[in-house]
Amino acid sequence: MEIIKNPNYDFLGKGRFFIALSLALILGTLALVSTRGLRYGVEFSGGTQLIVRFQNPPEVDQVRDAVSKVSPGAVIQTYGDPAQNKVLVRIGGHEGPAEGQGALDKQVGGQEAPPEAPGALDKQAVQVREELGKSYAKNPVTEFSSEIVGAVVGQELRSKAIQLTILGLLFQLVYIAIRFKGGVWGAAAVIACLHDVVICLGFLAVFGYEITLNVIAALLTLVGYSVNDTIVIFDRVRENLKLHRKDPLTKVLNDSINQTLTRTLISNGTTFLAVLGLYLFGGEVLRGFGFTMAIGILIGTYSTVFIAAPIVVWWTEWQAKRSKPGAKAA
Amino acid sequence: MSSLENPFVLWLVLTAVLAGLAYAFIRKELRTKAVLYGGFLLACAVLVWPPYEMNGKPGKLRLGLDLRGGMHLVLQVVIDDALNATTDDAVQYTRDQTTRKGITLSAVTRTSPTTFTVEGVEPARVKDVRDVLRDYLRDGWELREPGEGRFLAQITEPNQRQIKERTVSEAIKTLERRVNQLGVAEPVIAPHGSRGDQILVQLPGVTDVEAAKRVVQRTAQLALKLVEDQAPTQEALLQAFQGKVPDHLEVAKGQGDTPGQPVFYLVRREAIITGRDLKSARVGIDPQTNAPDVNFTLNPAGADKFKRATGANIGRRLAIILDGEVFSAPTVHGQISNEGVIQGRFSTQEAEELAKVLRAGALPATLRPLQELTVGASLGRDSIRSGLMASAAGMAFITIFMLVYYRFSGLNAVVALLANLIILLGAMAYFGATLTLPGIAGVILTIGVGVDTNVLVFERIREELRNGKTVNAAVKNGFERVWITILDTHATALIAAAFLFQFGTGPIKGFAVTLVIGLIANVFASYFVSKFLFEWVLGKSQAATLSI
Repeated sequence: MEIIKNPNYDFLGKGRFFIALSLALILGTLALVSTRGLRYGVEFSGGTQLIVRFQNPPEVDQVRDAVSKVSPGAVIQTYGDPAQNKVLVRIGGHEGPAEGQGALDKQVGGQEAPPEAPGALDKQAVQVREELGKSYAKNPVTEFSSEIVGAVVGQELRSKAIQLTILGLLFQLVYIAIRFKGGVWGAAAVIACLHDVVICLGFLAVFGYEITLNVIAALLTLVGYSVNDTIVIFDRVRENLKLHRKDPLTKVLNDSINQTLTRTLISNGTTFLAVLGLYLFGGEVLRGFGFTMAIGILIGTYSTVFIAAPIVVWWTEWQAKRSKPGAKAA
Repeated sequence: MSSLENPFVLWLVLTAVLAGLAYAFIRKELRTKAVLYGGFLLACAVLVWPPYEMNGKPGKLRLGLDLRGGMHLVLQVVIDDALNATTDDAVQYTRDQTTRKGITLSAVTRTSPTTFTVEGVEPARVKDVRDVLRDYLRDGWELREPGEGRFLAQITEPNQRQIKERTVSEAIKTLERRVNQLGVAEPVIAPHGSRGDQILVQLPGVTDVEAAKRVVQRTAQLALKLVEDQAPTQEALLQAFQGKVPDHLEVAKGQGDTPGQPVFYLVRREAIITGRDLKSARVGIDPQTNAPDVNFTLNPAGADKFKRATGANIGRRLAIILDGEVFSAPTVHGQISNEGVIQGRFSTQEAEELAKVLRAGALPATLRPLQELTVGASLGRDSIRSGLMASAAGMAFITIFMLVYYRFSGLNAVVALLANLIILLGAMAYFGATLTLPGIAGVILTIGVGVDTNVLVFERIREELRNGKTVNAAVKNGFERVWITILDTHATALIAAAFLFQFGTGPIKGFAVTLVIGLIANVFASYFVSKFLFEWVLGKSQAATLSI
């Protein structure tokens, strides 16, 4: 069985169109993130997040009434499979998914700022637990999980995440540049990869996913696999450049993309299937991870074919033009 | 049968069986490879068996907090506490010495956690003060004299760093002793973060989270000090001293006889005994009220001091101060040598916790919680269930796809995947790596990406076949040509995974661990094992077709 027989598409010829498309997506993401902001999970924004399991199916409204007595403005929602009687309570930080709008920096200087005094970190969690026992006593709490993060820790983690992603990309660039004996290859792979990460963030913002540690892990993994994908093509280019010395770079690149096209589609397809399993069955905690990976694989496949290769061609042509004496650009 | 319980014996037996099978069914030149690869896979399988608790035997896979429940705390050591204490000691010493030598000066004050000043020294005695200070502040202090009878002392930077390191490591030791008393299996207590003042405490499987937190976080600095005076407010207490606390005294608050009405005590600054003088502590019962209390005994040095102090102060009151709060202030009725009682309005549990922390010793500084994560055990089980579901779904999707698309060769890829999984789990069990929920995601991702290696090879083989190569040559070329690509792709993925490690502990580290091990296992399974399977099935004969 084969999905495509002897593919021979002109990927580079349509380069301009796809670059424009990508630029539009990136600008859209930047606009979205700068106006609406990203919604951060409790580990980045600071605050308190509780998962409470009740003996019987909980009435969310009554839980909300009870919780708002001690923590007005807390977000209450059913968590995971409704049959598991779990409710998520989110206090401090931003407003959470129920309100839809992300308000990233609201907690800074506001009254919702999480407590940092010694021993007071878990004050709200303890209060909520006590209040639920008092005001919602007919449905006892059977289990109580909490995640409480001081605002300072959250901010540290946020800058660490950005730092690590950038450093990770830089190292990839260096590795590829060394392996392929040319900065342009590394730069192209890394630009394609950066492109994937940014657009992924855009999708996360549009679909209202929180940036949690798991999502960051997914993004960093994508950094690895997006580059991985590009390398497969570049390796083929390297091989073909030796075999067909006379062909122009554009043709070699295009042939290489075509030759590896089936592999690109199949490999990414299987990974996509695996990640889809995570998204569908991985439960609440892994849903954001699964979503990020799934979107990232789709975008990664696209950028491998349509973004990384044209960058190499343009860069090389531009270099050739510049080094040629008497050329128009000089 | 019982000798098979030993994993090494079990492995030897299984490998011997495998060698026998290889001798019977595999042609000569492949036998060594078959036994080598098979032996390795068997070793991994034996290492990880049983993966989870089975028939009362503990599972070999270490589950993370998010899967088995428990508590994760990041605590900041308030280093200023330790610096304050060091500076306070120096201030106290300076006061004592100058008083003893009859030197008049207006004040010795701590101006910051690391500095103190001496002011208004009479001109004739400036040299004496200098000698006192120089003598005490020889190491780790910087002394300046701006003139006019003033001195400025500051703890030097290296000494500050040293105090910080010492405080953190002392805190970790104390926490270890306390956690020991909680009886938690596999606790983690370690320095955390890059600034060097944070401690990570992980207590897997803890059910009473609140109690565990109290035991971990209580500073538990015990001090017995002589009471000078007592009053219902601080102002009333200081009336005799024009509202200013004299140098050698301090004010401590305590519970009064009526709840909600605190009592203030004026006590000597110098403690008769501290927590360091304790030998042990245990819960007792007050014979008069039947309320729980905490009895302590002193070590020989402490007992000696206590005996002298109580003998000299019969009829006076002694405040028992814990973390700055006066718990009780009994009157000394006679000379006591090595025992004492702390009374308060304790519940039995509170008294037990207090005895535990006193036994384990005081923390050198306050611990401020920065991050707290607790996971209930049944929520952990939910996560395990969804993780397994997702793995099974991902595995099923891929198996079906590979079999449909590559037919018989697809089976080869599926076998390679299973081998990958066995190595991954075996290595995790061997290294004692912790499996977290994101770690399970990493396993699934490894499954997905592991196929990539097979796909690369298979597509290349198909290409070679299209170009008219024989089956055996196509397979050989296919594997050879993609080797470099596989190295490059795995190297870049490893770079990315290495950065995930930098997030430190917790679930993400679990993810990075599975990713790294999975990537390395994948090279072996999807390349070498898969290649072996092809060679074995194709045989020496020049097969005309390949089901791919």
